[in-house]
Amino acid sequence: MNKKLWQFGTREVVFAAIGAALYGVLAWATNFLQIPGAGNVSVRPAVAIPMFFGVVFGPVVGFIAGFLGNIISDLLSGYGFWFWWDLGNGIQGLIPGLIFLTIVNYRDLGSIIRAEIMVVLGVIVGMGIASISDIWVSGMDLLTVWTVDFLPAFITNAFWGLILVPILMVAYSAVQLRSGR
Amino acid sequence: MLVTWAYRFRNSLMERIDPRTRWIFSLLFLFSITMYWDMRFLLFFFAVAWLWYAGARVTFKETRRAWLLVTMLLFSMVIVNTILTGGGASGVVQGPGHPVYAVHFTIPVVGWTVNFSLTIERLWFGLCQIVRVWSISAIFIIIPYSMDPRLYGVTFRRLGFPDRFAFSMDLAFRYVPTLARDFAVTLDAQRARGYEIERVEGGLITQARRIAPLIIPVTIGSILSGEDMVNAMDLRCFGLRPRTWIVVTTYKWFDFAIIGFGIFMLIASIILLFYFHIGGFWVPPGIIPG
Repeated sequence: MNKKLWQFGTREVVFAAIGAALYGVLAWATNFLQIPGAGNVSVRPAVAIPMFFGVVFGPVVGFIAGFLGNIISDLLSGYGFWFWWDLGNGIQGLIPGLIFLTIVNYRDLGSIIRAEIMVVLGVIVGMGIASISDIWVSGMDLLTVWTVDFLPAFITNAFWGLILVPILMVAYSAVQLRSGR
Repeated sequence: MLVTWAYRFRNSLMERIDPRTRWIFSLLFLFSITMYWDMRFLLFFFAVAWLWYAGARVTFKETRRAWLLVTMLLFSMVIVNTILTGGGASGVVQGPGHPVYAVHFTIPVVGWTVNFSLTIERLWFGLCQIVRVWSISAIFIIIPYSMDPRLYGVTFRRLGFPDRFAFSMDLAFRYVPTLARDFAVTLDAQRARGYEIERVEGGLITQARRIAPLIIPVTIGSILSGEDMVNAMDLRCFGLRPRTWIVVTTYKWFDFAIIGFGIFMLIASIILLFYFHIGGFWVPPGIIPG
């Protein structure tokens, strides 16, 4: 079956939903993990889920998994609805998905490196857009947005993405062989 | 592990409003309020936001956690960015201002000169930031508490989003309890093998080592079950025709009135700001000395 980059068929509908639910549940369930010494700043290992779903199922799936997953996580935690952060999380999943067509073997070192580069790029653009929106909403200046919003989000998200996405890719290659897709 | 949504039926005014109206009004409110730094206008929006909040019949106890997060971020932003460094006020607060407190000293050894001056204007701007962000928060924080999760899919569909996106949304909400159960089973299984997942000590690397055996099996397991779901949906010819939805959303007269008020608010804000140049930062003359 021919794959298209922006395809959104049955397979994409299902995996976007699974990705979003996984991201939402895992982000909510791992709230207990915090950056040592920085009270109430939770680290979210689940951010790797939309990135991984983007790499494996395409940019549309990555975007919906991130966008919707962040909404679900906030709904479960009761934090409200913050559209610009949902959008940023969506972009974080969309950008790694742009190399979806180029990856055939998920164990291949070259594919993993390409995915890692896109993960970092996705975090920069996604969290950058979400952070910059605070200038518009709250009247913060660029330096504060950089230090208060962007840097902590970038460091933790890139860290989890860089560690978990390759592990998930290798694990998925076994599933791919089994499902034949 | 039990997953519970923050929503429960409250028989509130908010629940009678069409969910589409709520999204439309919330976004119109957001775009309108972000045009102002004038406290007189911000107080109007503040009143509207709290009326909206009161309509949801959500207690403060329920939303305490969200308010704590918003307020903590807001105050750190105001104290550091506006009052101490003046960074957030730049571009909005013009001129040197009227000092309330000033301190000038030189750091010995390095010889750096520190000139800190806290002005009335910056303090007032900080207050405007608090009112503006609290107003926006009041509108958006109540959404999870007052909107039935079953309505998200159909609402976004009726708002014009593609059918497949709306279905994906609906499916995601239904998957949450299943995945939470899978997560709990995996967590118990790993605990039985001696993993200490909940220990929060250690740096990020240690936490990554602890969390990977939890995330990987849940993710891969759900992908496997997803393949079965795809096959089942394909066999039922999913997506060949537009879907029908069980829940029917209908606009009532008050929905039109709320949307009309939101549109009026936005258009009036655009005219006031761009035509009359009203709504920018303003300090009451009464608080400026001399």
